[in-house]
Amino acid sequence: MLTNIFISGLGGQGVVTLANLIAQCASEHGLKVSVFNSRGMAQRGGRVTSEIRISDNKNFIYGARISSGQADILLGMEIGESINSISYLKELGTAVILDYSFIPSEMILKKEAYPSQKETSELFLKKTKNLFFVDNPVSPYNIFLLGVFVLLIPLIDKELTFLTQSEVEKSILTIIKRETELSLKTFRQGYEYGAKLAESL
Amino acid sequence: MKKMIIGNQAVAYGALSAGIDIATGYPGTPSSEALTELFNFSQKNDPSPYVEWSVNEKVAFEVATGAAWTGKRAITTMKMSGCNVASDSILSVAYSGTRGGLVIYIADDPGAEAGMPEQDTRLFALQAGLPLLEASTPQSAYKLTRFSFELSEKTELPVILRLVTSVSHAQEMVEGDYSYNRLDREASFERDIFKYTKAGSAICVGQHETLLLRLKQAERIVADRRINRLNCRNCSDSTGFSVVSSGSLIPYVNEELMNFEDVPHLALESIYPLDENIVIKMLKKSERVLILEELEPVVEIMIRSLANKLGWCGTILGKMDGLLPRTGKYEREVILKGLEALVRGNRKRKKHENEPIVETPSIGFSEITGNKQNRNDLPPVSIKHPITFCAGCPHRGTFMALVRAIKRNRMDRNKIIVTGDIGCTILGMNPPFNSCWTEVSMGSSIGLAQGFVRGGIREPVVATIGDSTFFHAGMPPLINAVQHRTGFLLIIMDNGWTCMTGFQPNPGTEERFQGANTRQVDISRLVQAMGIDDLQVINPFDQEHSEEVLSQALLARGVRVVIARKECAITVARRGEVESVCVVDPELCNFCKRCLRETGCQALFVSDYEDREIVKIDTDQCNGCTLCITSCPTDAISTGKIK
Ligand code: SF4
Ligand code: SF4
Repeated sequence: MLTNIFISGLGGQGVVTLANLIAQCASEHGLKVSVFNSRGMAQRGGRVTSEIRISDNKNFIYGARISSGQADILLGMEIGESINSISYLKELGTAVILDYSFIPSEMILKKEAYPSQKETSELFLKKTKNLFFVDNPVSPYNIFLLGVFVLLIPLIDKELTFLTQSEVEKSILTIIKRETELSLKTFRQGYEYGAKLAESL
Repeated sequence: MKKMIIGNQAVAYGALSAGIDIATGYPGTPSSEALTELFNFSQKNDPSPYVEWSVNEKVAFEVATGAAWTGKRAITTMKMSGCNVASDSILSVAYSGTRGGLVIYIADDPGAEAGMPEQDTRLFALQAGLPLLEASTPQSAYKLTRFSFELSEKTELPVILRLVTSVSHAQEMVEGDYSYNRLDREASFERDIFKYTKAGSAICVGQHETLLLRLKQAERIVADRRINRLNCRNCSDSTGFSVVSSGSLIPYVNEELMNFEDVPHLALESIYPLDENIVIKMLKKSERVLILEELEPVVEIMIRSLANKLGWCGTILGKMDGLLPRTGKYEREVILKGLEALVRGNRKRKKHENEPIVETPSIGFSEITGNKQNRNDLPPVSIKHPITFCAGCPHRGTFMALVRAIKRNRMDRNKIIVTGDIGCTILGMNPPFNSCWTEVSMGSSIGLAQGFVRGGIREPVVATIGDSTFFHAGMPPLINAVQHRTGFLLIIMDNGWTCMTGFQPNPGTEERFQGANTRQVDISRLVQAMGIDDLQVINPFDQEHSEEVLSQALLARGVRVVIARKECAITVARRGEVESVCVVDPELCNFCKRCLRETGCQALFVSDYEDREIVKIDTDQCNGCTLCITSCPTDAISTGKIK
């Protein structure tokens, strides 16, 4: 059994840290995990993605890349980059997307329209009904998104139930060196937000 | 011991475990982290191998070779483009061979994720006549790195170790000893002109023959050590099909075969020379063979010619029959397409009668086309976040000043050729500067500029290059320009670091950041020493002065050099040395957006204020360069707020 998680966002948003937190929990739990980060242009405001593949079979040797249409889960940290990543999502996969847009100044100057939340949902709904939008995220966004995601897991994917609140908090303590307290607080805020989101279903 | 590391780090630890004495390289995505890891190790550990970031791949390879000729183990690291730079020396050293293990680690990039040609180093191995090993996972990168030294010493040949982006940047748990097993070899070297020089045709041809014998020996060692594997669930039953995969594709093919029929799988991690024994074993069992490899049909060419030599008359599926693409990274879809084609042509003969019927492949061809359809109608919109200079980057100031100087001189921007070069400075080709015209290879900006001048372009030609790229390959062409009096304006953007690849030190980096026993080299003195008198230094954040200097330099004749000097904003910020940031006074901003238009700085954003829109500055991102202040007509922006 292989679970594929695709994360997309922009440089500076903490995509790679988010991936590391999930990977840390998985390997603490005795699972095999691989991570592939594309962050060549991270410093320069460009697209950053992370591909995580998790298997419960320690001896299974697999490659680190996720093919198009194979991500069970898409975590989107920015609207435009989430749309750019749709092709990776599996038919009926799950997308958890932050309602945050970073509009390039070129588009502002040319007065080009940036996709709205509504347009974005319409695009995603063509592929899956399992779509969660996270409005008004709290900074740091990556940790907030993780909080929301962790709460939603029992509803999304039984293979990922090792990602519990306490396990993730442990990995935050190991991995996040600066402003750890803030991260824990934000993670809990995300978790509470996730609970509200789940209730409203 | 197990650690979560990427393929590049696995190469580094494999090399440490093999007891290297020296490691050299030049940064280049997707290879950089290999030498970074070794460099960091050498800074923190004693004993440690000697590690240097060399000025370019050629020099790096030469330094490593010298050490290997004294009997030490050496590794040199580069991306595939660097192999071109070093190839002159590599081809020559292949003839001489080596004494200590000499490993050339090259990272290829199918899919061009780092944006360069999809060069296939396996072809270079054929050209050089050097053994090439290719790792399929970070774990195998660790093991193969160790094995490459053994192979190199047994055959006395340099060995090429190849990883592709999908492996060099993949992170997983890797079992290894994570220690430096120093070999403590005595260095020695004996004069042997028949081996180490090319003095005379007989010597060269003799060395060539030796090289070919050593390759044959490599093939035997690889076979003995069972580097390549023929896997299948139930090999005794011949299905008539086989699939061959090269390096990086092995785990992906395995993954698909789990849900497919029982097809024998020949997994090749030693690519060149071809492990003929195991291939013959595979051919004997098969009537149809599928060859899966990214980029060029290297394995396919070798297997087809072997099959031909043997008189084997089955069918080979691959790229040469037009089935599979020669470009891009192979995704699941391509692998499935190959597998489907493999079994499709021959279904009737597939099963023995009394064998339980194996489920038809759960992943069918229909699904492949299904995938394709999905991909075509999605995503209907694609948002481009253009990569631009970081907030506070001094290169932004240089390109702003250049744009302003061209305008001040009333020159036509569409006629002023600005050649670009590799590294951060090339971002000057993106909006809002739209300045650079070309990007070819390290240092090429300066050579190309001369080509344009010699070709007869009358308007001033401008070459732009960063400090590290200038040191790497910019000096030889600049010397050429001086010697031949080919006039153009060269702008060297000196920010003190090699930034695009992750802020490695270069010869221009301040000594205090370089580590012990180093010396900073001053570009302006170098340029002067080359005989260039028309040299000026600007601070790109002083726009008035920079614009003035550049506008005059554009009009001047001869080889003139302007050095735009200011340290990289990110390295300054990482040391916590940003003193002030800028803020917008919302009352004064009339939302003319000139700041956005001229700087394109990502710290600027549009926000609401009372009932209108204004521009604001994200103080977390701003590094206080003050360039936006020079754009604002209403003096709405000011500096001062301490972070
Ligand atoms: S240039 Fe000045 S006035 Fe114009 S939008 Fe920017 S801050 Fe506002
Ligand atoms: S907001 Fe202005 S001062 Fe700050 S980094 Fe950007 S251009 Fe420089």
